[in-house]
Amino acid sequence: MPSAPDLSAYRIAVEPYYRPVGDEIAVFEAAWRHRLPVMLKGPTGCGKTRFVEYMAWRLGRPLITVAAHEDMTAADLAGRFLLTPEGTVWHDGPLTQAVRHGAICYLDEIVEARQDTTVVIHPLTDARRMLPLEKRNELIPAHADFQLVISYNPGYQSAVKDLKESTKQRFVAIDFDYPAPALEAEIVMREAGADLALARTLVAIAACSRNLRGQGLDEGASTRMLIHTGRLAAGGVSLEAAVHAGIVLPITDDADVRQALGSAISACLV
Amino acid sequence: MSELLDRATPALDRLGRLMEARATLAARFEETRASLARRHGAPALEPWAAGTLALVDVNAGAGVLLAFWRASLELAPRLDPDDLAAMAHGAAALCREAGSAATVAALDAFAGLEPRLTGAEGRAMWWRALARLGQVTPDCVELVAAQAHRLVVPGHAMEFEGFIEAGLRATGRDRARRRAFFALEDPLALTLLARIGAGPGFDEMEAELRMVLAALWDTRPELQPLPPAGPDMPRRVNIAGPVLRLPAVFPGMEGEGARRLYLAATLHAGAHLHFGNPRFPVRKFRPVQIALATLVEDARIEALAMRRFPGLRRLWGAYHVATPEDGPTVAALLRRVARGLFDPAYADPDALVGKAQTLFRAARDRIEDPAMSLDIGTRLANDVGQRRIRFDALGHVAEPAYRDDGLGIWDFSEIDPEVSDDVQMMVEAARPTPQEADDAAPQDGPPGEAPEPVGRARPARGPDEGVIVAAYPEWDAGAGIERADWTSVREMPAAAGEVRPLLRALERAAALRGRVARLVKAAKVGRAARLKRQAEGHDLDIDAVIEAAIATRAGEMPDLRVFRSSARLQRDLAVLVLVDVSHSTRERLADGASVLDVERLAVAMLAEALEKLGDDFALLAFASSGRGDVRVTPVKSFAEPYDAAALARLAGLQAGLSTRLGAALRHAGAQIARVRAFRKLVLVLTDGEPSDIDVAAGDLVQDARRVVLQLRAQGIDTFGVTLDPAGVGSAPAIFGKTNAMPVRRVEDLPERLSELYFRLARR
Repeated sequence: MPSAPDLSAYRIAVEPYYRPVGDEIAVFEAAWRHRLPVMLKGPTGCGKTRFVEYMAWRLGRPLITVAAHEDMTAADLAGRFLLTPEGTVWHDGPLTQAVRHGAICYLDEIVEARQDTTVVIHPLTDARRMLPLEKRNELIPAHADFQLVISYNPGYQSAVKDLKESTKQRFVAIDFDYPAPALEAEIVMREAGADLALARTLVAIAACSRNLRGQGLDEGASTRMLIHTGRLAAGGVSLEAAVHAGIVLPITDDADVRQALGSAISACLV
Repeated sequence: MSELLDRATPALDRLGRLMEARATLAARFEETRASLARRHGAPALEPWAAGTLALVDVNAGAGVLLAFWRASLELAPRLDPDDLAAMAHGAAALCREAGSAATVAALDAFAGLEPRLTGAEGRAMWWRALARLGQVTPDCVELVAAQAHRLVVPGHAMEFEGFIEAGLRATGRDRARRRAFFALEDPLALTLLARIGAGPGFDEMEAELRMVLAALWDTRPELQPLPPAGPDMPRRVNIAGPVLRLPAVFPGMEGEGARRLYLAATLHAGAHLHFGNPRFPVRKFRPVQIALATLVEDARIEALAMRRFPGLRRLWGAYHVATPEDGPTVAALLRRVARGLFDPAYADPDALVGKAQTLFRAARDRIEDPAMSLDIGTRLANDVGQRRIRFDALGHVAEPAYRDDGLGIWDFSEIDPEVSDDVQMMVEAARPTPQEADDAAPQDGPPGEAPEPVGRARPARGPDEGVIVAAYPEWDAGAGIERADWTSVREMPAAAGEVRPLLRALERAAALRGRVARLVKAAKVGRAARLKRQAEGHDLDIDAVIEAAIATRAGEMPDLRVFRSSARLQRDLAVLVLVDVSHSTRERLADGASVLDVERLAVAMLAEALEKLGDDFALLAFASSGRGDVRVTPVKSFAEPYDAAALARLAGLQAGLSTRLGAALRHAGAQIARVRAFRKLVLVLTDGEPSDIDVAAGDLVQDARRVVLQLRAQGIDTFGVTLDPAGVGSAPAIFGKTNAMPVRRVEDLPERLSELYFRLARR
């Protein structure tokens, strides 16, 4: 069954830029063939979301993205009754839409959601492949093209927030990390429209900040951050100012860390 | 006219009459008076005369008067008689405390230093500081006066008073140490002296340097301060394996200049560590060869570093300023070689610099190989040797200032006897003096003290006996009765201790602190609770809706609260942390820290977390010496904030005596019972079994168990975190299995304590 026309807005028309780092495309395609749920692990801004978009484009499936947050309830995913003058009307949530019509459902930063919310995906991620809607007393078998993808940043807040063991074990995982320096420079060049020297400098700065992970910084500068900074710099802002605005200020509020980061950055700049 | 003057200048007249009677003084007095009168006019001298009389009134003696007049004459061009009078009053006050000889020395020093003291305020400070010193330790005033030219630094005169205060605080009642300090022979005195007019120093820079090293070189060496070597002896960074020793302060460097020098020096040392420390065997090398090879090695690692981080050229380049005008010495020549190697564009008339540059350039292909430094260094040294100019091995100092002393790359274990004297001399000259281990040395007694059996009582600690604040019953397990008012609890005032080692330990535990901080963040937000049957909310409560529909159809009034909502749970929690500071906590661990040090760190980390959470908490330390002397030391009460003073009190805890846990628990229970909170916790941090000098340990275990049960009946939960490497302690018997948390490795304590707390607080 082709997906319902109301999902057309979720289709990705133009090929998103994605630079493969390893065998992630092959793994994802294999998982897709068997409709296995996939978990993308890795630090923020290293290309997880871009990868899903690229794969959705490549596989020709609509992509429904849900950014998980602390207040998200199971109803936000599955759907809820809304009140109208005639009475209550059921409204499908994003997950239910994907299940019914065969889209890739991407739950971004799944750990942000509470654990009791995330268990709603359990029946979809094992052999059953179905979504029970207890409130409607309905059992939706997943569309043949439905696939679930979640992203998960293990480094951050892991002491407090973690996936349940029973949730983790349902997924095929693909590990993401920041690309190797040469590759990352290539990505920054392509995405930010920067020249090679600028891209290399930015990548060196990022490496410095990533060395501070756990020593003042929770996370180092991400590839996304470098691209933003590169755009500022390529757009005429002086490199110092661009790095300050694009990396130093967003990444930390601690004056000592800023000063140290500033010294490290100044060592990277010609 | 003369009558009028007489009436207007009673002090001057009285002084004149007094001096007439003293043959030894009359002439000098008259001379001084006349000279001052010429300058200011006789009537204006009245305050000056009153000042002199003040000196006479304290029986200052002829020497002091002569010194005062000397100073008056010397300072007369700058100071008016009122200022001179102030000097006399200051000297008189000092004389009362410290005697004549000290006052003479102080007056003479004052006359020389007055321009540096900048104004009345500075002058008053001088006399105030010396009087304060004289009050505590009169014998040190002369010592300070003799060193005053080093202590009163132009532009930073006011720091003189701080130096005196710091000295008095640091040396306590130890007379010998005090004299050494104020004679500037004590390492701490030299460190403090170097800090006058300089800074930021190592302490201020440490955190930043640590981060910059991690960021650029991904290396986390231990950083340690090096005390200053002595007057006019420059200090250089020393690399000893994975330890970087940095000057406690770079004398004479201030503000941004000092900061940049620290950065430059640390990053240079970091580059050594990163690009490999070769450890060349010294064997037959002569000092000049060693010096030049070190220079080439420095240039080699800097070239590699700048390849990767081009901005370092700016940082280091600022220090390469040697020119041919510097003079013909070998030291100056080496500076130019250093510059030439650093900056290929630098052209120098001396052939040696050119040769160094050529050789260095030619070796570009093998720049990764440290052996090239040895190679080029020895060839350059031969050239220096042929010129027959003397290399001063003893006076050799690595230049520019940011470079390390160079000893780190040499292996001195194999030295050819032929050259050993010269090399020894060079090493000795550069070697950092053995460091005064401020955090290794315990604050609780001299090192090398004979170990005493654990858990036994020791004699009373100090003259301060504290106040008895409560009496508690105790369970006598043998007799099966509770003895009323059996133990007396004495509240000991907490002494403030040296905070730096504790802060440094906290700094080292940064990763762990980060984890705890994240726990805090999560706990602070509180957990969300789902609320059903609400009048408003983000979702329908389907059960409530159905009930409402049924009610409507049945013709009843429906309950309109048909929504679900969520709300944050409020934390309402009070916790008292009871810290065991009995004698056994003195035990040293492999890394030199004592158990008490680890306890302090654990408590400091937990307190930091609690403060951020806003949970009500108190910190109480305890030890005992028999039933009549159970000592508790309040580090922080519930009402007090956790601030620098509380941290100092925590740092000031001293180990000693025994562990009468039951009595301490009763006291803790009584304190927390007064606090209003939904949940009350007592966390006990102890390193062993309850024990005391006058009772069997088993009885104390039973007594403690009984208190825990009594507290539970009052709604106070007690938890025991015990250091119990063998896992055989009685903690489960006291606190119950679920409430006892044995910690096998002492080092894990900080982590486990915080973990436990967050686990408890969630329940």
